[in-house]
Formats: sequence, structure tokens, C-alpha cells
Amino acid sequence: MHIPDGLISPQTYLPALALAAPLWVVAARRLRARMGDELLPRLAVFTALAFLLSTLMLPLPGGTSGHLLGVSLLALVFGPWVAFLCYTLVLVLQAVVVGAGGITALPVNALTLGLVAAWVTWGGYRLLRGLGETLAVAAATWLGIMSAALVLALVLGLQPVIAQAADGTPLFFPFGVAVTLPALLVPHALIAAGEAALTVLVFRHARKRRWLEAMP
Amino acid sequence: MKHRLALYAWLAAVVATTLVHQPAVLAAGLAAVVLASGAGRGRLLGRALRAVAPVLLLLSTGYLLLGWWTGELAWRFLLLLNLRVTLLALLTAWAVRDIDFDRALARWPAARRWLAIVRSQVTVFRRLATEYRAAVQSRSTLPPTLRQRYRAGAALGLAALDKAMYNSEALTQGMRSRGALDE
Repeated sequence: MHIPDGLISPQTYLPALALAAPLWVVAARRLRARMGDELLPRLAVFTALAFLLSTLMLPLPGGTSGHLLGVSLLALVFGPWVAFLCYTLVLVLQAVVVGAGGITALPVNALTLGLVAAWVTWGGYRLLRGLGETLAVAAATWLGIMSAALVLALVLGLQPVIAQAADGTPLFFPFGVAVTLPALLVPHALIAAGEAALTVLVFRHARKRRWLEAMP
Repeated sequence: MKHRLALYAWLAAVVATTLVHQPAVLAAGLAAVVLASGAGRGRLLGRALRAVAPVLLLLSTGYLLLGWWTGELAWRFLLLLNLRVTLLALLTAWAVRDIDFDRALARWPAARRWLAIVRSQVTVFRRLATEYRAAVQSRSTLPPTLRQRYRAGAALGLAALDKAMYNSEALTQGMRSRGALDE
């Protein structure tokens, strides 16, 4: 779902960078305070898993496909701050290894996919956990992914308004919110369901293996 | 030093590209990068195009259809969009090919270490996935159904997770014993 380089205007990515940079510092400080011999390998494995999930295509009905994110899993296992930092690393790796996403789009992608998705998932889980763990994990994951898709659709859809030439033609992403909202939200309702199922599967496995016990 | 400077140059070039709105300048930049990237430039261009072609095709087709429908089509914008996205992808492909990120990040040992650990896990996961896929293919004459693919994927994922966790713990202990995580 992440945005490639060249579709986001500097009027968007520079303020996004100004917002993301202090948040990365806060997240790094929180991670440093918790870092130990048990956390480091788990973090590395789950970050690598998120990277691979985001490179694997999920077949959808009708012959299309989308990719999973893995950020909800990071948020549920390590908390939203650590998930934000780890997912930023995933986005950097995607940009420089796979050529997906990009460096100028990194702050926007990190804020939407890393921060928004992680916090909504984590907050949703805390709100819904009275309903049972499986349902809470699945619903929180679905909500997290859909929230990220919504914010991304709004950011993309605002580009023709934010950056246009003197004659009114767009300079970056050309379509408005009337196009971006359905284009992103409809397929992601299905992708988020796939992600929810996978998150439940791995979360339960992690609990069985007692990988969650060292986490707050 | 060389790699760190190249990293800065790449970042500056990427930002500068998003500040240019003249297709002719972007086309000249694209030609300059193709020429400057040296031997293997064809493969590099192919890699960049493969990365952005689906997005550009989707956006350009959508824009053409919308323009045809509304009667407002800006060819200059289409050219601008395609040139800019291709140039950015080419710059990134060039950076990935020629910059040694381990050396470029020498000033930030924590980032370098973290990158090394995650990369090693990605390699483990990829190797396991390849082995598992080959094993499944060697045992079946028919291609798996969607349901079978999901079930096999789930089994592979959990097995790979266990293996990667074991590997990562061993790696961390190894790094700890050599003092790499002392600071």
C-alpha cells in the first residue's frame, strides 16, 4: 500500500519529515530503555517477518493481489512505539533492497503505515480485549490497516490540491479523494482481513512459545 | 568516506528531482544518470523500470481514461510524472548497486548493527521459503489450489519463525560474547 517516490510533493513530505523525526527519536529512546538480550533477537525476527510479509503478494478474488504489512503484529507484540521504529526500518529496507516505496515518501509512509496503523491496532486491542483475545487481535488489526489506508488515501487525494501548476494541472499524484478513497479502501478491506487472520495465527504461536512474556 | 558521500549525494539528488517540474530537465537528468552509471546501465535501467512500471502503467492509464472522459488531458503532466518516477527509481537502483550501506553507515554503528541483524533474518526466511517451495513442488504433479497455498504458507511461516528465532538468539549471543553489543 505504501507510496513510491515521485508521487508526493515536497510540501507534503518535508512537513511529514519534520513530524516524523522527533517521533523516531522518542521511539528510539523508548526502545533503548527496554533493549535486552531477549528483546533484540525477537525484534530482529519480527522486523524481518514484517519485511517479508510486505514483499509477499496475497492473491485476492478476481485475479488481483495486494501485500500484507506485518505492522499490527509488531504493535501487538512490542507496543506501538517500537512498531513504528521497526516499520520505518522495514520501509528503508524495502526502498533500498526491493525498490518499493522510496526515500522522499519515507516519512509519509512511516507515519501512516508505521505510526497510525500501530497505534490504532494497539489501542483497538486494549479496548476490545474483553471480547476475547482472538477477536480483539483480528478486529484491532483490521482497524489498524484500514486506518492507515484511509490516511494514505487522504494524503494522496490531497496532492492535486497541494501541488499544481499555474494552469491547474497536477504536479505529483493526479487523482483526488473521490478516486483514492474507494481505490484504497475497498481492496484493503480484504487485505486487512487476510492480515488479521495471519496476525492471529502468529500472535497465538508467539504466546504458545512464550515470546510475549518478556514484553510489557 | 566515499560511500558516505555517495549516500549524501543520492539523498540530495532524490530531493532535487522532486523540486523539478520541467520534463526537459528531467529527461536530461535521466539521460545523464544512464550515461554516468557506467557498465551494466541497461540492467540498471531494466531494474528501475520493473520496479515502477506497474504503478506508472496504472496511473497513466487511469489518467488517460479520466482525461478522455472529462476532455481535459495534460500530456505534459503525463510526461512529467513518468520521467520523474523513472528517474527517482533509477537513482535508487544506482545507489543500491554502487553504495555499500555498511560502510556508508559507519558513523552510526547502532543503525549498521541493526541493519545487519535484520538482513541476516531476511536471508534465513528467504532460504527457508525457497527450500519449502522446492520440497512442495517436488512432491506434487499438479499446481496447489489457493486453499493449499494458504495452508502451506501458514505452516511454512510458523516453522520459519521458530527457526529464525533460534538463529537470531544464537547470533545475538555470538555478537554479545564478542563485545559487539557492549555500548
